[in-house]
Amino acid sequence: MVNVKLDGVEVEVEPGTTVLEAAKKAGIEIPHLCTLKDLYNGASCRLCLVKTTRGKLVPACAYQVYRDEEFTVNSLELKRIRKVNFELLLSFHKIECWKCERKGDCLLASLSQELGVEGIPVCSQCPLPPEECLLTKGILCLGMITSSGCDAECITSGGQCWGCRGPITRRDVLERAFKRYEELGFNIDDVLFRAEIFWNSVPAFEKLKKVAAEVRGGKK
Amino acid sequence: MSWTLLDKCCEKCTHSLDNPCPDYIECRVNGPLCHSDKKCKELRKKRLEEIQYGAVGAKIKIPLSSCTLASGAENIYEAVKDYVEKNGLKISISISGCFGLDFLDPWIEFTSKGMPTAIYANVKPKDIPRLIKEYFEEHDVSSAYVLKNKTGKAKGEDKVPLLDELDVWKKQYRWVSRNCGIVNPESLEEYIATGGYRGLSRSLKMSPEQVIDEILKSGLRGRGGAGFPTGIKWRITREQKVTPKYVVANADEGDPGAFMNRLLAESDPFRIIEGLTIAGYAIGANQGYIFVRAEKPLMASRLQKAVEEARKYGLLGKNILGSGFDFDIEVILSAGAFVCGEETALLAAIEGRRAWPRQRPPYPAQKGLWGKPTAINNVETLAHVATIMAEGAEAFASVGTEKTKGTKMFCVTGSVKRPGVYEVPVGTSIRYLVEELAGGAVEGSAIKAVQIGGPSGGCIPASKLDLPLDYETLQSAGAIMGSGGIVVINDKNCMVDVAKFFLTFTSAESCGKCFPCRVGLKILWDILDKITRGQGTEEDLVVLRHVANTVKYASLCALGGTAPNPVLSTLRYFMDEYEAHIKDKTCPAKVCKALITYTINEDKCIACGQCAANCPVNAISKQESGKYSIDVDKCIRCGTCYVVCPVGAVEKHSRGRRRSGGEMKW
Repeated sequence: MVNVKLDGVEVEVEPGTTVLEAAKKAGIEIPHLCTLKDLYNGASCRLCLVKTTRGKLVPACAYQVYRDEEFTVNSLELKRIRKVNFELLLSFHKIECWKCERKGDCLLASLSQELGVEGIPVCSQCPLPPEECLLTKGILCLGMITSSGCDAECITSGGQCWGCRGPITRRDVLERAFKRYEELGFNIDDVLFRAEIFWNSVPAFEKLKKVAAEVRGGKK
Repeated sequence: MSWTLLDKCCEKCTHSLDNPCPDYIECRVNGPLCHSDKKCKELRKKRLEEIQYGAVGAKIKIPLSSCTLASGAENIYEAVKDYVEKNGLKISISISGCFGLDFLDPWIEFTSKGMPTAIYANVKPKDIPRLIKEYFEEHDVSSAYVLKNKTGKAKGEDKVPLLDELDVWKKQYRWVSRNCGIVNPESLEEYIATGGYRGLSRSLKMSPEQVIDEILKSGLRGRGGAGFPTGIKWRITREQKVTPKYVVANADEGDPGAFMNRLLAESDPFRIIEGLTIAGYAIGANQGYIFVRAEKPLMASRLQKAVEEARKYGLLGKNILGSGFDFDIEVILSAGAFVCGEETALLAAIEGRRAWPRQRPPYPAQKGLWGKPTAINNVETLAHVATIMAEGAEAFASVGTEKTKGTKMFCVTGSVKRPGVYEVPVGTSIRYLVEELAGGAVEGSAIKAVQIGGPSGGCIPASKLDLPLDYETLQSAGAIMGSGGIVVINDKNCMVDVAKFFLTFTSAESCGKCFPCRVGLKILWDILDKITRGQGTEEDLVVLRHVANTVKYASLCALGGTAPNPVLSTLRYFMDEYEAHIKDKTCPAKVCKALITYTINEDKCIACGQCAANCPVNAISKQESGKYSIDVDKCIRCGTCYVVCPVGAVEKHSRGRRRSGGEMKW
């Protein structure tokens, strides 16, 4: 048995255990995406990076412990690297949560909450299945252009989203969202009028209005 | 075929492939050792002379390696052969490798008994009859570029310098490249005649531990880039209890602007094979692999031929030199990706899988090829091993720095007068290499920066040229040693564009396994592209630095770990150029197309009309004054007019054109 020290928490594990397993045993959570026990252990996503005492960053999912070792799991530096890393991954993801099967059960969405990355709409947490979406029933909901993180409380209790968590800033997501509004027969002016209630003085709202104008203009 | 050094001299020689003699190698040159016979000694002496001057006393040597072939050495070989056969001359023709002095290419060497050995540079096939006549009939060497020795018997000897007096030759420390350009790379006999295989012969008489100790004592560090001590790597591999073990020579050299491994393997392949055999003996492996880049076919075929030749004479195979040590080598062509040079990806490629790197530890020394302990060494390291074992560790450790001993081959390319491969002791300053050996910047330009370590190295500004070339100093300056490629960048290059160029390469070569490298490099490229198009913002610089640092620290393998170096080092040393692109929307070096304009200076214009005739978009027209002018709206800034103008009337300006509204036009 070897002693592993993770951020000062000591835990005793079998030699050959990965840092990720040791952390689970110690009750410490390390964000991770790609590792699947017995299936894939390629250390591709690099979200589970931890720091050794020699200052090297190693992936917790693939690094096996054979002797007493100490790791830093959470520090400002690691958080920043994980965050940029996750933003890189998200930048290539086509975010269309309102159409997605996995909403409510999405690893990306929950990780984005954990790492503080913005840009995923409220739809990712919506409890309603796609076919029962409020928008398909003609009820104006701002979920598609609002940052997630509220657990979609309003929708869970039967209401619609009013956008209190602020607008999404990613351009391609906004474009798709406004197109979806138009598809469903909403007037973009109505959407913006509703959005102004919370976002009137938010700088990102100006950008959002520009995108909306472009989507509308492109149709003409 | 006549008697060669590799054959038995007389019946008394007991050497045979089934019962090899331990002193076989020493006996070839200094022999015979087991019996004394004047005739046998004479036989060897005569053969050595034949190797030097050819069987008929006159010899023409033509270098056939990739660099000389590219400049037309094959035509010269044909021309020489034709001429000699047609005129029935008694001259033997042989081939050799390359000196590494690429500005001489294609060169040709004439030797004859009693005459000085002459080297002619930049030869053309039509010169051949004249040169042969001059040298072999008129005994005139006045048109030679350099002589190897002087005899006082040939005409014009005084005017031609000696090779040993040339700056590019005497200022080098040729240790591992000593045979390059001198011996025939396809002849085992010539390699042994110049002292080859003595290292193996000596190693086999020592215990493997003693060999490792000798390498440790020499302080040899891996020449592939990371600089891990070779002796320690071997010791770890030897200490593993799992068998069988393997040794691998990494000849997958993919950096643009680096070709020292190719030069070594094409000019002196037996040295690499000898080094690999010693490595196999030291760690206890019976099988070795040479992993060669498939894009360098001559290098692969030379190594393959050398392996077959060594096998034929019992220097590979069972019971090598009567020591009871079995070893064989297989030459493997790489899968052709830059990432194959990464050791774990290389192993995957040998195993027949996709060349993806994997997380280390476990290191290949613990779990490598097919899960067995494997020592992976660069070919230059292995050539060093062979030389160290022949000459002793002290001779090797006499040069170099405190932490890194010995010499290193560097490729100097780019904007220099004498590009080529130069071998100097580690710790030599960059200035020595670039200015004294390579001759400094080409006429009409100044050195702005040097890119060290290939596409994943860093740009070091001209003000830091006095830095010594060793692993630690380069790392702290933001570059890496890499394989030793040095690209000299002159003041006509834009550093943002240079960084973008290197990222184009690394982002295309990223294997895609981990996404900091896959996505991060793409995003870095996008931002640099945006800046060179003049659309960059100051925010972009912050993002650039954040993403570059993340890619550097979070990537899985060394490719991603070093790929952002060009960006980080240019940000560190050439921030003013980034700021000029972003704030002033100008390109100080006048390279980025979106940020420059071409105009015609009417005072200089001679109205010849060449610019208008060559313009691909018809943007140039004749004015009322008879002179020409460029319509900036139509101009695509291809630069054709700038090149064709005979009087230099076309001028470049480091500022994009502004529309009347003040908005930039791209």
